[in-house]
Amino acid sequence: MSLINITLIVYVVASIAYIAREIWNSISIKWVSIGFLILAFCLNLVMVIKRSIEAGHPPFSNLYESLVFYACCTAFVYLIFEFIYNFRVVGAFSSVLAMLILLYATLQDDTIRPIMPALKSNWMLVHVVTYMIGYASFGISFVTSIIFLIVKAFAKKDNKEAGNEKEILPRNFDKLSYKIVAFGFPFLTLGMVTGAVWAKKAWGDYWSWDPKETWSLITWFAYLVYLHTPLVLPKMNISKSKASVILACWLLFSFGIVNFTFVGLNYLPSAADSDHVYGSK
Amino acid sequence: MKNKNQLRMTTETKDSQKNQNQISIHQPAQRDSNKVWDFFCSVKLAVVIILLLVVACILGTVILQEKTMDEYTAKYGYALAAFFRITELTNVFYSYWFAFLLILLCANLICCTIKRWKNTFMQTGFILTHLSLILILIGGVVKFQLGVKGGVNVYEGKSVNYFLTQMINRQGKLDYIKKDLPFSIALDEFILEKNEPKFQLISYVKSKNRQKNLEVKVGKRQRVPGSNYTVTIKDYIPDAELHQEPINTSDIPDNPAIFVKLSGSDKVIAEGWLLAHDRNYYEDKKQSLRVEYIWVSSQEELEKAINSIETAHPKVSVLISEQGLSQDYPMELNKTFKLEGTNYSLRMLQCVLNYGDRRPLEEQPTDNPAVQVEINGPEGSETRWVFEKFPDWDKMHPSKYKNLKLTCDGIASGHMAKNIVRLFQSSEGKQVMVSIKNNHITSTIPWELEKKYTIADSNHQIVVSKYFPSFNFRKEVIKKSDTVGVPAIFVEAEGPSGKVDDWLFSNNQYATWYTDNNLALVYESMGESIKHFTSKLRIIENDQTVAEKTIRVNDPLTYKGYVIYQSSYDPEAGSFSGLQIVKDPGIPIAYAGFGSLCFGVIFIFYIKPFLRKKQKQKVEV
Repeated sequence: MSLINITLIVYVVASIAYIAREIWNSISIKWVSIGFLILAFCLNLVMVIKRSIEAGHPPFSNLYESLVFYACCTAFVYLIFEFIYNFRVVGAFSSVLAMLILLYATLQDDTIRPIMPALKSNWMLVHVVTYMIGYASFGISFVTSIIFLIVKAFAKKDNKEAGNEKEILPRNFDKLSYKIVAFGFPFLTLGMVTGAVWAKKAWGDYWSWDPKETWSLITWFAYLVYLHTPLVLPKMNISKSKASVILACWLLFSFGIVNFTFVGLNYLPSAADSDHVYGSK
Repeated sequence: MKNKNQLRMTTETKDSQKNQNQISIHQPAQRDSNKVWDFFCSVKLAVVIILLLVVACILGTVILQEKTMDEYTAKYGYALAAFFRITELTNVFYSYWFAFLLILLCANLICCTIKRWKNTFMQTGFILTHLSLILILIGGVVKFQLGVKGGVNVYEGKSVNYFLTQMINRQGKLDYIKKDLPFSIALDEFILEKNEPKFQLISYVKSKNRQKNLEVKVGKRQRVPGSNYTVTIKDYIPDAELHQEPINTSDIPDNPAIFVKLSGSDKVIAEGWLLAHDRNYYEDKKQSLRVEYIWVSSQEELEKAINSIETAHPKVSVLISEQGLSQDYPMELNKTFKLEGTNYSLRMLQCVLNYGDRRPLEEQPTDNPAVQVEINGPEGSETRWVFEKFPDWDKMHPSKYKNLKLTCDGIASGHMAKNIVRLFQSSEGKQVMVSIKNNHITSTIPWELEKKYTIADSNHQIVVSKYFPSFNFRKEVIKKSDTVGVPAIFVEAEGPSGKVDDWLFSNNQYATWYTDNNLALVYESMGESIKHFTSKLRIIENDQTVAEKTIRVNDPLTYKGYVIYQSSYDPEAGSFSGLQIVKDPGIPIAYAGFGSLCFGVIFIFYIKPFLRKKQKQKVEV
């Protein structure tokens, strides 16, 4: 069995462990679930490292490589939050998210091809790593927003769930989502700026309204709006409860934009003129 | 239920009341002049502008940008194209309305920054980020007003002192504008470095329509993803050549062939194999001589055939390569012929004497006779042209039924050839040579192997030097050298019909199919890719070399504000270097913006929360 299949399975196992932890809420299952996710992350990391040794270039020069790295970053960012904030059910969704990304990678062409001269730059490393950490955090905030919306729709209003003090309850996930976006947004900004500097070095212009550039700006704008709306909504006669729902929905929408920027640009008519849309082959 | 709703209602009204209170606190202080100021300061305006920019950006990628009017008309139709042009949707990012949005954003940023300026350390991030956006926008304006961007191709050993910029003019046409440089650029040397050729093995499973690359590793048994086939590469030759040696496999005449030599005065004019069931004739280029090899199965048939001066009736022959089955069909248009013992059938659709000639059949010269044949088989129908003079044509072109070889003969009835030599051979072993000249039999003699016969009225001589009753090829793969040339792999595929092995050559553009016609393998080059391209440039000013650098992608040369980038190369001969020349005085401003943006967001989202936490801890202590 190939490494990618084993990693996929471990992600699924980790996800099941997280669900079990949610049901029985025991300390031992907590460590089992974290252990499985760490194992999946390590396997994923091995894939990334192995690939970069085999290919002889940083492991994100095509869609397949980027997706594998993206899955790895998703697990990594989740684990960071796991240790900062004590939340539970998010782990199940996050490992499913990483698994889905990896599954999507298996559908891509995984041939090692020589990279084009423009990609041979140290800026690439910084650019892609920062972007992927940003994207991964937005993935996690997507998960927390979904959970928040589900809880909001079904849970009773004054349900005082038992839990220890450190734990963030799902009905407060709107604040958590904001924290995760706040963690990812600087990475997104750094990714965009390093991309601009790199483009200047390689193509002579830091910004040329290429579809990929334009959509990365749209992504940045989407999260910029998210970060500013909490200042606006209270002034617009919108209740706190409604505002939190609007913001959660906006995060779901924004993550859609992230994914479109990442893999969907082939569908644009302007993609043919672009310098850096992943090839459709 | 009711209670809960009421509860929610009350909390909401409470919230809104609170908000109203907030607003009413501000209201008395507001004056008319302040209204404008407040409008420009508001975060609400910022959010609205950003959302409008998002919409503009989406339009700018959904609608093709900066194309010529002709291209727009072709793609969107005249009315829509005209609309796009008037609304500047053909050039969103440089349009007046987009510029207006950016100016509005800039004004909003400035007002907002001034309003909230408190000059505290905690505010560093806020000020840096908002200021950075203003700087980036100013940088962009400087670039747009004072910057230039263009390109020029330079040949090796030549120099240029200008470059060209591209733009769409008012008429919607593409314009090139020549811009002079204050110096000249000489290209001393251009080096195009290619990667070592790489080869890949692609598998294709037809029933799943799934294509996947396999590992090229000798000795490794691998499963074709998503199927039950396994593939093992058993051997690899970096530079292989296929030798096909004709051999005779048995004494039963199932595929009779003769080796014929035609010679003039001490010189061999032509030699080669004639196969009774396949390529059974030779015709010289001037069409003055034709040699035919005809196999007959009985004495009766032989006698009938040798007395006939009539040239062969137009016919289409089908050879099924795996089964060695060969069958001839008379040229009858629109009649369906079933191939016996198979589930194929044929139908001849049309016949021409000169392929591609639109004149009626009678007026066509017999330059390129051909029949159009429809083949019906297990994979549906396929239409194929069969050329009399190019019997190997279908072997060289992709088709559904690669295993069916079709040839046709006698279409140009009444051959152009003045001399025809017919070599008859019967299954009883009789060998007769009939010479025909201008439609008259001139001689009928028995022929023997290795004996020279002179063709009447010419100085040509003919010898049949070999006879193979069961002609076949022995394939042999030879290693030509150890360096990578035309690599080949020996592959064993295993599936429902057992193990099959064959050599796959990287220069063979056709797939090799497994016996069930469901698994195909192709071993091919991944295309020559460019590793590096570098230009050795010299900047000449007043006849003096003032700068020198070997530039490559990601490593440009800068001189007097102009930055010279390696951007492309001559794709055909590799003789010129494509340079991009950019001048952007706004760079320092934009980069200052980039720097402060990065530091600003890090401050806001990492440093500030950290400092807050510390303050809090202090307060608690």
